[in-house]
Amino acid sequence: MVEFKLPDVGEGMHEGEIVKVLVRRGESVQQDQPLLEVQTDKVNAELSAPVTGIIREILIAEGETVEVGTTLLVIDAGTDAKKEETKLPEKVVNPDKTVNFAPARADHRRSLATPYIRQLAREMKLDIELITGTGAAGRVTEEDLRQFSNRLQKSAPAKFPTTAPGNERLLEASTVGVETEPVVQPKTGSATRVATSSLGDIERLPLKGIRKKIAEHMVKSVTIIPHVTSVDELEMDQLRALREKLKPHADKRNIKLTFLPFFIKALVIALKEFPTLNASIDDRTNEILLKRFYHIGIATDTPEGLIVPVIKDADHKSIFQLAEEIDQLARLAREAKLTMEHITGGTFTISNVGPIGGLQATPIINHPEVAIISLHKMEKRWVVCEDEGVIRWMMNLSLSFDHRLIDGVTAVRFTNRIKELLEDPNLLFAEMV
Amino acid sequence: MVVGEVAVETDVVVIGGGPGGYAAAIRLGQLGKSVVLIEKEVLGGVCLNRGCIPSKALIHTAGEYHKLSSLNKLGIQLPTEKATFHMPSWQTWKSSVVAQLNKGVDYLCQANGVTVVKGTATFLSSDRIGVETGGDFETYKFKQAIIATGSRPFIPSFLKTDGEYILDSTDMLALDEVPETLAIIGGGYIGMELGMAFAKLGSQVTVIEAAERILPQTAAHLSQEVLKQAKQLGMTIKIATKVEKTEVANGRVTLICTSEKNGSQSITAHKTLVTIGRVPNTGELGLAQAGVEMDERGNIPVTATGCTNKSHIYAIGDVTPGPALAHRATKQGIVAAEVIAGLPSSVDSPYVPYVIFTEPQIAGVGMTREEAELQGYKVKTATFPYRANGRALAMDEGEGFAEVIVDQESHLLLGMHVVGADASNLIGEGVLALELAARVEDVALTIHPHPTLSEVWLEAAEAVLGHAIHIVNKSKVAVSK
Ligand SMILES: Cc1cc2nc3c(=O)[nH]c(=O)nc-3n(C[C@H](O)[C@H](O)[C@H](O)COP(=O)(O)OP(=O)(O)OC[C@H]3O[C@@H](n4cnc5c(N)ncnc54)[C@H](O)[C@@H]3O)c2cc1C
Repeated sequence: MVEFKLPDVGEGMHEGEIVKVLVRRGESVQQDQPLLEVQTDKVNAELSAPVTGIIREILIAEGETVEVGTTLLVIDAGTDAKKEETKLPEKVVNPDKTVNFAPARADHRRSLATPYIRQLAREMKLDIELITGTGAAGRVTEEDLRQFSNRLQKSAPAKFPTTAPGNERLLEASTVGVETEPVVQPKTGSATRVATSSLGDIERLPLKGIRKKIAEHMVKSVTIIPHVTSVDELEMDQLRALREKLKPHADKRNIKLTFLPFFIKALVIALKEFPTLNASIDDRTNEILLKRFYHIGIATDTPEGLIVPVIKDADHKSIFQLAEEIDQLARLAREAKLTMEHITGGTFTISNVGPIGGLQATPIINHPEVAIISLHKMEKRWVVCEDEGVIRWMMNLSLSFDHRLIDGVTAVRFTNRIKELLEDPNLLFAEMV
Repeated sequence: MVVGEVAVETDVVVIGGGPGGYAAAIRLGQLGKSVVLIEKEVLGGVCLNRGCIPSKALIHTAGEYHKLSSLNKLGIQLPTEKATFHMPSWQTWKSSVVAQLNKGVDYLCQANGVTVVKGTATFLSSDRIGVETGGDFETYKFKQAIIATGSRPFIPSFLKTDGEYILDSTDMLALDEVPETLAIIGGGYIGMELGMAFAKLGSQVTVIEAAERILPQTAAHLSQEVLKQAKQLGMTIKIATKVEKTEVANGRVTLICTSEKNGSQSITAHKTLVTIGRVPNTGELGLAQAGVEMDERGNIPVTATGCTNKSHIYAIGDVTPGPALAHRATKQGIVAAEVIAGLPSSVDSPYVPYVIFTEPQIAGVGMTREEAELQGYKVKTATFPYRANGRALAMDEGEGFAEVIVDQESHLLLGMHVVGADASNLIGEGVLALELAARVEDVALTIHPHPTLSEVWLEAAEAVLGHAIHIVNKSKVAVSK
């Protein structure tokens, strides 16, 4: 028997949440076959079998948070159910027979539910196998479906698996950003039933998974860092024109060219000129760490919640290279395939909420960084230009900065510089290294 | 042949009017789709015209006829002349049953707005289908297609059927007389069902099976009961025996067989029935033009929604891998229709029951004990014999037993199997119990009407729990290690 324990899959993690158990008791597994999905500090990791054998015990449940070193499964090593199978009296079937009564494997380890409940689950686009039944003998009830569905809708990072025609599972992205997320009562354990109070229906949901990590991180960030936000407005017409010009070239190389690479370029130029914005504070030694490398985090909305993959050495990459890398990272993020490597080491973060909307925000700094920019919706506005009202493509930009290190004046100068570079992209190219 | 220039446009074409195809077409009609159902022969497919229904009509008749000889025991005095069976009259009756059902299907198709086209269909491309309708050629352009062309008997080349001496199941059900001697190649369910029926009608039947036992698809202890009965009916069963050659001479067929134990031997009979499996009707469909893939057996692999590798082309029934059973075809047909109409349907149940109309009947759903143990379950099982059931004895049907297989830990039902009179109807309770995720207690605590055969479930369930009333429980509960 091999006890399979939760290993340390990321830099010094000490606990992980079991997101999905991929095997069942009695199932035979091959070495390296995935067994479990764990969620650690913002990374999803798949743990695979150290040996070939049969799963004898499963000691954890989905949704449980366990510490490194906890035994998760017991594997009966060396026994291969497939081999056992051949040892059993073999069913002699005439090879010519296409008629075989053996029904599709009746696997009773699937959720207990009646056909009607299964149909209802499909209609509600819920994967019934993820639902723990509260009915008699653990059957999934109609109420369980409703509870599960509510939980999914209200907690952004939850998975939204659906059984679509063809039975592929789709993941529906959540569209809510961190800053606009309604406050959820922190509570561990399972969801409690809807309670009707004099104020109306209140539902208590567990705060877990990525949402819990985000929450912890945000609390830490705002408690340590005195945040100040300054907002400015950019005129985007020239940059839009430039992007239109470059697009066919990008298309030829199969690159999806967004505005983000231009922002990163401008940002890096400005960061080089204002080094305190590309810094961090060592809280223990009270030292300022000025970083001479430019690793830009891009806050990405994923079905699991907000994740910040990092573009390393952004100052050494061309606009097209950046575009390619953003696309790649966003895809990995959506598929929950980012590794620790992808999401650590950032020096400055851009949060791009523009496509969703919003005029301005107070983005929360990604500690230990000292500033963050969020980009808002680009839209046509009336503006005054040389004493005349004209229509221009405008966009707001919010910068939150750590007031311990950065003064308001520095911050505004910093955004002014970015503004200058983007409003006249020729300048951007002139300054680019 | 006139080649149609203009393709008729329709939402869905369904190819094949068997229990899979017509159910799909009717459901599509209900859901407001325009449907063309193409059938080259008669609506109802194998099931209605030369499978389930005709064979069960024959089996029923044979059963009634056979019972006559035991009525004496029940005090019924028959005239001293021996009853006789007139097969042509049976054919007339059978045809009327089939015709009535055909008409029913036809009417339901009409009532649901299904356009039925008589002809042979072939795919021309992934959205067009050509139909040869006796001299004419029509084309249909479709958004979705459902392939439901079913299967035909598998006849290896050295056994060429001739319709006179060497027959397939279709020929057999069309006979006008009961053959004096009948050899059956293949002891699967069709061979055993028809073999027993003809034995009851007076044929001297020999079954030749290549496997180690008859009905190799079912659990051994269930098929054992059938073997006992077969012997009582005077049938000769040759297992582990292969037919190598057939010769027709002087109005008889001679089969040259070999077996490891007995070496070479020959069997001579008036007729020979070949039932050694069925092959899907996919070869002539032009699937390549549509881009639909098949496996090496000619089956079309599908998802739980019936989808082939082409997302707008579905396949259902005997053309898909899995047990070739009418109820599976129908379920798949309905699901495919609903998926096409945008409903969230799926064939996601592992509980496909099976029924074998032998003497006695066998029926089951879920796992057998061996299958459950293979899957890592610790199981408890118990059987309850028909001879301890009052109703069975009152019907003079004391052979057989019901078996219940449960998970030792949770007491969830894993499988229910029954061999005995009316097993085919009794299994309905089993299917429902498993679908409703019942525990063995649920069955044990349900009041079953008395006196009925259904009480065998009640008692088998109680026996698992160690407290059946009508058998001694003691060490009767089998518990796997
Ligand atoms: C003797 C016997 C007994 C059986 N007993 C049972 C039983 O008791 N219980 C049970 O569940 N099953 C039984 N079956 C099996 C059952 O009949 C089949 O599983 C069932 O009929 C399959 O349905 P289907 O719709 O897939 O195809 P089919 O019923 O085979 O129908 C296919 C139809 O497609 C038509 N077709 C084929 N090619 C074309 C084409 N190119 N263009 C147009 N039309 C085409 C055919 O003419 C046919 O009508 C039995 C079968 C046999 C032979």
